[in-house]
Amino acid sequence: MPSYETFVMGVLAILGLVSMVAAILAILERDLVKAVIFSAIQSTAYAFMYYLLMAPDIALVYIPVAIGLYPAVVLFLIKKTERYEGD
Amino acid sequence: MRVIKVGRWQKVVITASMVAFVALLALALSAGGLGFTLPAGRVRDVARWYLFTTFNPDLELFSAMAPEGVTSIVWDYRGLDTLFETAVFFLAIIGSVAIMRDIKTGGGSKPKGSTGLSPIVKTVTRITVGIILAVAASIALHGHLTPGGGFQGGATAAVAPLLILVIFSRYYIERLGVSKNAMLAIRSLGLVGIAVTAFIVLAVTSLQGGVAYVFQNQPKPYAPAGMPYEVGGSLTGGTLLLFNIFEMFAVSAGFTIIFLLLAIPESEVLGVLRGGEDGH
Repeated sequence: MPSYETFVMGVLAILGLVSMVAAILAILERDLVKAVIFSAIQSTAYAFMYYLLMAPDIALVYIPVAIGLYPAVVLFLIKKTERYEGD
Repeated sequence: MRVIKVGRWQKVVITASMVAFVALLALALSAGGLGFTLPAGRVRDVARWYLFTTFNPDLELFSAMAPEGVTSIVWDYRGLDTLFETAVFFLAIIGSVAIMRDIKTGGGSKPKGSTGLSPIVKTVTRITVGIILAVAASIALHGHLTPGGGFQGGATAAVAPLLILVIFSRYYIERLGVSKNAMLAIRSLGLVGIAVTAFIVLAVTSLQGGVAYVFQNQPKPYAPAGMPYEVGGSLTGGTLLLFNIFEMFAVSAGFTIIFLLLAIPESEVLGVLRGGEDGH
C-alpha cells in the first residue's frame, strides 16, 4: 500500500512528463494555433502541479492567466499575422 | 554562415547530455528545495515566522491579523513590492494604449445580420459569464481568508469580457458599456484606491497628531494606530480587504483594455498607423 506522499509524487511525475511532452510538441508544431493548444495543455498540467505542491494561490492565478488570457492574446496575435510558421 | 555538419554520434552525445542536464537539474532542485517528501517535514525559519505571526492575537504588535498567509505577505509584509508590481502592469497597459492611441475601439455602427458564434454557444456563455464573475468576486473578496486575492480575482473576472468579445462581437460589448475609456476610468480608480489605502492609516493618524508608517495595516511598536481587523465579528484583514477590491478592479479593467485593443482588425490598425493623406 503506497503512502500518501508516494501517490502525490507519482501524480506530480506524470504531470511533469505530460507537460514536457506538450512543451516539446508546442515548440516543434508548425501550425501556431495547434502550438497554442499544446501550450495550454502544458499550462493545465502546471496548474495541477501547483495545487499538489500546496500553492493554491498560484494555481488560482495560473488557471485564468495561463489557460484563459495568455492563449487568447496569442490567438489574437496569430490572427493578425500568419498562422503557419515558415522555414 | 558556416553550416556545421553533425554526425550521428554527435547527435547522440548532444541528446544524452541534454537529458542528463535536465535530470540532474530536476534532482538538485527537488533535493535542495523541496526535499524527498511532500509536505516537507521541516518548515524553514522565515516561513515558520510568517506562519506564526500571520494571525496571532497574542502577538498583535507583530501580527498581520489575517489568516491567509500569502495575501498577508503580498499586501502587508511585502506591500511595497506588490505596489511596484502593480505599477509595472499599469505601465505596460499605458504603453499599449499609447501605441494604439488614434485607433477607435468598438464596432462602430450596428452590423447587419447576426454576428458572433452560434446561438448554442451564446446561451452557454450567458450562463457562464455570471458564474465567472461570481467566482471572481468570491476569490477577491475572500482573499484575506482563503487562497486568492486581488490579482487572482481580477484575472478571473477578465475572462468574462474576453468571452463576450469573442463569442458575441465588438459592437455588443461596446453596447454593454465596456469601452476603452470606461475601462481606463475603472483602472485609474482602482489605482487611486490602492494609493489611498496605502496612506490611509498615516493620513488619519497624522491628523490626530500621532505617528504611523506608510503601508501600515495593524498596530506596530511605536506606531499604535491601525485598521480594525474585524468588523462585527467578521475578519476583514484591515487594509488587505481594500487592497484586494481595488486590485481586482485595476487588473480586470487592464486586461479588458488589452483585449479591446487586440480585437481591432489589423486593416484598421495599419490604416491609422501608416497615416492618411494628411501625412502624420
